[in-house]
Amino acid sequence: MTVHDMKHAASDSARLEAVGGRLSRVDGPAKITGAAHYAVEQQLEGLTHAVLVGATIAAGKVTAIDTRAAETAPGVLAVLTPDTITELKGASDWFGNPPGVQTYCPLVREVTFSGQHVAAVVAETFEQAVAAAALVKVWYDETPAIVDLSDGKAGDGIPIDAMTKEWGDAQAAFAEAPARICTAYNTPREFQAAMEPHGLIARWQGDELTIWEPSQWLDGMARTYAEWFSVPFENVRLVSPYIGGGFGSKALALAHSAVAAAAAKMLDRPVKLVLNRPQNFTSYGGRAATRQTVAIGADREGRIQSIVHRGVNETAVDGMWVEPLGSVTSIMYATPNFSSKQNVVRVNTVVPGAKRAPGENPSAFGIESAIDELAYELGLDPLEMRLINYAEQDPHAKKPWSTRQLREAFAAGADAFGWAKRSPQPRSMRDGHQLIGWGVAAGTYPVRRAHGEAVVKILADGSVEVESSSIDMGQGTYTILAQTAAETLGVPVEQVSVKLGDSHFARAGVTGGSRLAGVMTGAVYKAAGQALDELIGLALSDPRSPFQKLQANTLQVRDGRIASPRGEGPELSIAELMSALGRDHIEAKGDTLPANTTPEERYKNYTTIAMSIPHTEGDWSRHSWCAHFVEVRVDEDFGTVRVSRVVSALDSGRLYNPKLAESQWKGGIIMGIGQALLEEGIVDRRHGRIVNGNFADYMLPTNADIPDIQTISVGIPDPHSSALGGKGVGELAIVGIAPAIANAVFHATGKRVRDLPITLEKLI
Amino acid sequence: MNDQVTISPTTLSVHLTLNGRDHSLDIEPRVTLLDALRDRLHLTGTKKGCDQGQCGACTVHVDGERVLACLTLAAQVEGRSITTIEGLADEDGTLNVVQAAFLEQDAFQCGYCTPGQIMSAVACIREGHAGSDEEIREYMAGNLCRCGAYPHIVAAVRQAAQELRS
Repeated sequence: MTVHDMKHAASDSARLEAVGGRLSRVDGPAKITGAAHYAVEQQLEGLTHAVLVGATIAAGKVTAIDTRAAETAPGVLAVLTPDTITELKGASDWFGNPPGVQTYCPLVREVTFSGQHVAAVVAETFEQAVAAAALVKVWYDETPAIVDLSDGKAGDGIPIDAMTKEWGDAQAAFAEAPARICTAYNTPREFQAAMEPHGLIARWQGDELTIWEPSQWLDGMARTYAEWFSVPFENVRLVSPYIGGGFGSKALALAHSAVAAAAAKMLDRPVKLVLNRPQNFTSYGGRAATRQTVAIGADREGRIQSIVHRGVNETAVDGMWVEPLGSVTSIMYATPNFSSKQNVVRVNTVVPGAKRAPGENPSAFGIESAIDELAYELGLDPLEMRLINYAEQDPHAKKPWSTRQLREAFAAGADAFGWAKRSPQPRSMRDGHQLIGWGVAAGTYPVRRAHGEAVVKILADGSVEVESSSIDMGQGTYTILAQTAAETLGVPVEQVSVKLGDSHFARAGVTGGSRLAGVMTGAVYKAAGQALDELIGLALSDPRSPFQKLQANTLQVRDGRIASPRGEGPELSIAELMSALGRDHIEAKGDTLPANTTPEERYKNYTTIAMSIPHTEGDWSRHSWCAHFVEVRVDEDFGTVRVSRVVSALDSGRLYNPKLAESQWKGGIIMGIGQALLEEGIVDRRHGRIVNGNFADYMLPTNADIPDIQTISVGIPDPHSSALGGKGVGELAIVGIAPAIANAVFHATGKRVRDLPITLEKLI
Repeated sequence: MNDQVTISPTTLSVHLTLNGRDHSLDIEPRVTLLDALRDRLHLTGTKKGCDQGQCGACTVHVDGERVLACLTLAAQVEGRSITTIEGLADEDGTLNVVQAAFLEQDAFQCGYCTPGQIMSAVACIREGHAGSDEEIREYMAGNLCRCGAYPHIVAAVRQAAQELRS
């Protein structure tokens, strides 16, 4: 893979519209005027409304459901139960593995978690469906539930051998190390809590299914629907023009999706089903609760001799989720001896899922807290400690980093923050009643890569259309793809319109793992290049072209006008040239797949994650990096913690649009502040139920919780990570924020909190 | 879970001024202003984030004051004047100064909380609560943003307030 030398290098002086320019969001005007219609806001004739009934127990059997009162309520069209809902086929998993079951029923008789869907009511209006759902009576035979990791019945869990990473003799080296720490770190169940609830509209027309649903993966979800209903993949159209936040939660078709699509089929009418806010805490998985122990042995100078790491995450009784807890532990610092192992423990929860930086986020909380503890143990500055153990290559893969601007991040962040003025002793900085603490931590996220495709059309009027079934949930896909096409074709960005979020467009893999920008800019660059080649080829060779007589080797397009690079001959707008050529459009489909890819492989590439390219493929280990510097103020009497300042220096390689990248970084930092201080799913131990499943009790950061945040880009183009030199942006910045805050709280108070969130009762 | 719940088929006729135009609606008394806007009047710019008065995504103006449309029954706005995000820009499409500031400052990402943020911001400035960054943060704290656009929202409100003062 090579970095293509674009006309306009990424810099602050780059033109707004070029790749690397600070163009405002092209989808912004629609979003600020209310004109952006999100998936479930489509207005359809004959639309019906479905409301789910959830289990009130966490484990046991549904023994009876009385639907009579609901069925006779005004406006009710159907009450669906496990006995009456149409039978679906099992669907393969996201790796493409065939289903373990022949049939699938999204309404359950065997309950494995509280809130699991047991029935659904469909009515003419939303209000009628809500009222009738309250009339459905369900009887259960309740059995004891395993409520969480600390439940006595939970046990040690299942070893996940694929997570084991070992080199050297970690146990022996730890035992012999002159300086040692061994500590345990816990993170609670956390939720993505996107502002737009999950939901969908399903409509059947014959055996063709259209689904309007917020989606991070149209093609993957379309495959699931196709398999559930035994219809060809092409018969399913997923539409998701705007997504009101996903953070990992909106990549899969889920049980409620199946209920709505089944109801639409049964009634032969379109059905809208939107999870209410409490149901958004139980109908799909948030981040699994985790437990880690980190043992580090070092010599007296602070050089790490050994790291021994053990992790556990919760998973569901009937589903598997592995939150890779050794992912940062194994690469952040150089160590000659290392051991990491992980178990998963089944509890009665909905199967946990991906939340921003799954794995890296809790992993960094462990290792970045532990390294801080070791620094204090040895009397070293926490920043110096990190530099002493700087990993010059990937300690696990034993490969050089593609790029690692982490040293530069530490330097730039420390300088902007004023780290040199830090007083090293805990409780040594204060402002009246407020104890002040300064903390540092690093973060990283792998460059997940995949193949992509895009269609670029040059139209008769000189405008350009880009089409892809990838999506924009706020990362800025619409904008950076417009910039990529504009720059590659040499047209003003206003002439480019980007169409996303329809599975009938060129296919796209999952938008997750911070891979979309790298994959899709590469695909659009390729497709736009092909379209430009075709345009220039026609201009040079078509007898109708005014350039044909020029006998030139090539032409160039600038600001939407085409001419010889030497300035001889005519200069035409693209529209004038298209008119001369008698063409109404030129279309190119570009993809980054290997040339000999079969149709089956292509399908697999876009509808599963089985063909993702490992970040350590070939000669390099590819990651984004960051260093966070945080100031906290802790009220000495009340133990309340306020984050008062954040400076983060980040290496995401080349930024396709710094304005939007900075927004994503800050968003990650803010979600990290929530994780550190506020967010925790609380389970009622009697009934295994999430009791704070709403926005008042599951506390998200508010505007008043967030200080000024300074982000500094220290990245350089990474030729090994993507076609245009970028690395991942969206997930990076949350990694390391929670430990930076915990480290700052220790510096402020002398108390080490190893259980997130850091709430006041843990400090007083 | 009450078998005795009876569901009245009664509908009310509600008259309101919406974004400067008169409307009348025949609706059940239990319909919220939010659902009336989104499902009956097809104005989906006002967002449903929680339906419990906890997130602010459904903020609209009733007689110029910010109100949560999910906690307001449509029947309560009889004779009142409602402004939603769709009614904020001028007829010719010229953006409200707050809208323009949100775009310039990149004060949103996914855009779902954005209409509520903007409606709150317009009222926040009008209420005289945009005097400092601290004050903006406090008076905009009822509008959650999970993408974490808060610092840019503060910058946008500050910018719009300054432009409106000058």
